[in-house]
Amino acid sequence: MPQVKIIAKNFMDMVASLPAIKLDKLYNNVFICEAILRSLPPLAKKYVLQMLYTDVPVPGTMMEEWVLADGVSKHRVAIDRLIQLRIFSEMVDRKNQTSYSLNPTFQNNLRKHIISGGVLPREPMNSDNAIKLPSLLELETYALRQWECFLLQLINPSQGEKLAGISPSMMRIFQRGLLSQRDKDGPRLTESGFQFLLMDTNAQLWYIIREYISNAEERDVDPADLISFLLELSFHVTGEAYNLNTLTEVQKNTLKDLADLGLVKLQQGRKDSWFIPTKLATNLSVSLTDSSVRKEGYVVMETNFRMYAYSTSKLQCEILRLFARIEYQLPNLIAAAITKESLYNAFDNGITSDQIITFLQQNSHPRCADRIPSIPENVTDQIRLWEADLKRIEMTQAHFYDEFPSKDVFEAACDFAREWRGLLWEDSKRMRLVVKSEIHNQMREFLHSQSK
Amino acid sequence: MASVASKLYSDDVSLLVLLLDTNPFFWSSTSIKFSQFLSHVFAFLNAVLGLNQLNQVVVIATGYSSCDYIYDSSSTSNHGSLESSRIGLPALFGSLIEKLEDFITKDEELIKEEEVEDRIASSLLSGSLSMALCYIQRVFRSGNIHPQPRILCLQGSPDGPEQYVAVMNSIFSAQRLMVPIDSCYIGAQNSAFLQQASYITGGVHHTPKQLDGLFQYLTTIFATDLHSRSFVQLPKPVGVDFRASCFCHKKTIDMGYICSVCLSIFCAHHKKCSTCGSVFGQSKLDDASPVSNKKRKAPET
Repeated sequence: MPQVKIIAKNFMDMVASLPAIKLDKLYNNVFICEAILRSLPPLAKKYVLQMLYTDVPVPGTMMEEWVLADGVSKHRVAIDRLIQLRIFSEMVDRKNQTSYSLNPTFQNNLRKHIISGGVLPREPMNSDNAIKLPSLLELETYALRQWECFLLQLINPSQGEKLAGISPSMMRIFQRGLLSQRDKDGPRLTESGFQFLLMDTNAQLWYIIREYISNAEERDVDPADLISFLLELSFHVTGEAYNLNTLTEVQKNTLKDLADLGLVKLQQGRKDSWFIPTKLATNLSVSLTDSSVRKEGYVVMETNFRMYAYSTSKLQCEILRLFARIEYQLPNLIAAAITKESLYNAFDNGITSDQIITFLQQNSHPRCADRIPSIPENVTDQIRLWEADLKRIEMTQAHFYDEFPSKDVFEAACDFAREWRGLLWEDSKRMRLVVKSEIHNQMREFLHSQSK
Repeated sequence: MASVASKLYSDDVSLLVLLLDTNPFFWSSTSIKFSQFLSHVFAFLNAVLGLNQLNQVVVIATGYSSCDYIYDSSSTSNHGSLESSRIGLPALFGSLIEKLEDFITKDEELIKEEEVEDRIASSLLSGSLSMALCYIQRVFRSGNIHPQPRILCLQGSPDGPEQYVAVMNSIFSAQRLMVPIDSCYIGAQNSAFLQQASYITGGVHHTPKQLDGLFQYLTTIFATDLHSRSFVQLPKPVGVDFRASCFCHKKTIDMGYICSVCLSIFCAHHKKCSTCGSVFGQSKLDDASPVSNKKRKAPET
């Protein structure tokens, strides 16, 4: 993976960072137990399942025997994660033997879930009372349109139609870190903002949701409640209608915000109103590793550096503009070219060549995606070369010394600098040297002691 | 990062095709009741579905003389009628139970129609294996990214030697598709078919000792996804029964005659190969030492 500076961290890292009491409270909800189980690393899932019906603590030495020799590191990761999430509690007995047992609430809830099967969080409304449900396809286009609209507004507040629910203050919170506010030339995307745009939808969604949760307290909403509601939402069936009356006031307000993000669709009937979760919502509990909402790609990259994007979306055009020169736009096609200038522009903005290449690979047109490599090799090589061009000079903070009293002092100073691995340059004829600034202090002391 | 061109999910997402033995002749003779067995299996399926949102489970019932798909977690109409949920059955498997009941009654009728020959009370394993492979093939060809498939046979009835060729063919196509066949044999004897199937396709074969702890066996061994298998201890095959069935009388034999053209196996000497029609010459050596013609079936390695 390319180094993404703003990593849309897994939701569960947030859960894990909750205080212990809140975490224990969360496990009272069956759906959270389930969602957390799903978020675990594969080996950890296996351990939980294996120990589900074990009531006595299992010694750590015994668990180590469950894995093969080359899985030990994975074993450690799994155990650490389980302890971090307080699913496992660690006990050390008198003989200094560690043993682990499952969190009883978690265990009970999971047992219940496994025996009774996936019960839905709430019953969908009967479809006979005059509800016209959108088809799954309509719902998906709705969700994506809503999400794109949100993104457009996020990166370019002056453009795009205004969203009803999300307050400007909320929008500013989302923009924090992605946009830099400068008075003169208006807001500009920051380095992380550019990287944000190149992430896939799921990762972007997580970033936004994380921001949304982390500022929940400012809106007088308990983050734990919000997390549990979001997780519960992910267990609803896509495309079914659920009555709004089953929700609390806080949840209703949250839903309005989520509707703006395209997570749910709100509809109003004659008597009551309801919400329909979209795919974006039901994918919330999927861990980030599998990007399940992988959309069909649209970019065709040619060996002559020309790029054709079959897209009508304004957002996608904006994204391509980050690193390519848009030449012309037809109703369903964007023709662009990758040039040295356009790429330098991108590198200036802090986008790396790897990110561009990954983006192109992930979004390549199905016809091209079947080819190996999906992006012509000369293009990827050239992108990397151009980036390397910019990195020919390396800057190091340094200090310059001259006017040494004697050759001996100069040589002693050189040796001292060499010993500290800080010597960058020396000119013995004119007795000048340059050392890294880290050892400037030591150097000064050394020279003082020499001059005495 | 995983190659983008790959159509597989990167993580541990699995498609589990479960072949459920519903042979009435077997279930009438076991210590564990079919209903108890089912409750273990349902819990296991719930667990598999719970492990990952993208996990998919398909259940195929293997009867005495027929087999059928009875559950597919990817299709939407899984919620059983209100009636089943009122009895307190797991909501998700309401339709499974209904379909299973239908299947068993139909299978029973078919048994009554046949009822002439006295064959071993085996289940139609070859049929359900082929159905599983068809399903997987369809998933492969659908073009979208798909989960990693594997097959799990929950078999109790003895092998039917008359299915030898069909079963072996299914095993080899599974091998070609790189689909492992796991097998959990709960019957009294050992199943050479399942041992071979798991051995050839790289799956796990296990014979649980205590059937009342079946759930634990299932989750510990068979819930392990393919991704984790490379670093988890799993039971190793103790010994595999490689015996074949002859093509002429469908008997399991450990010594026999093999057609040198098409490798068909016979328990007795024939003048002509029944499969490919090659005429077997009576070699001169044959008169001198009849044993030399009696080729031993080479053990597969």
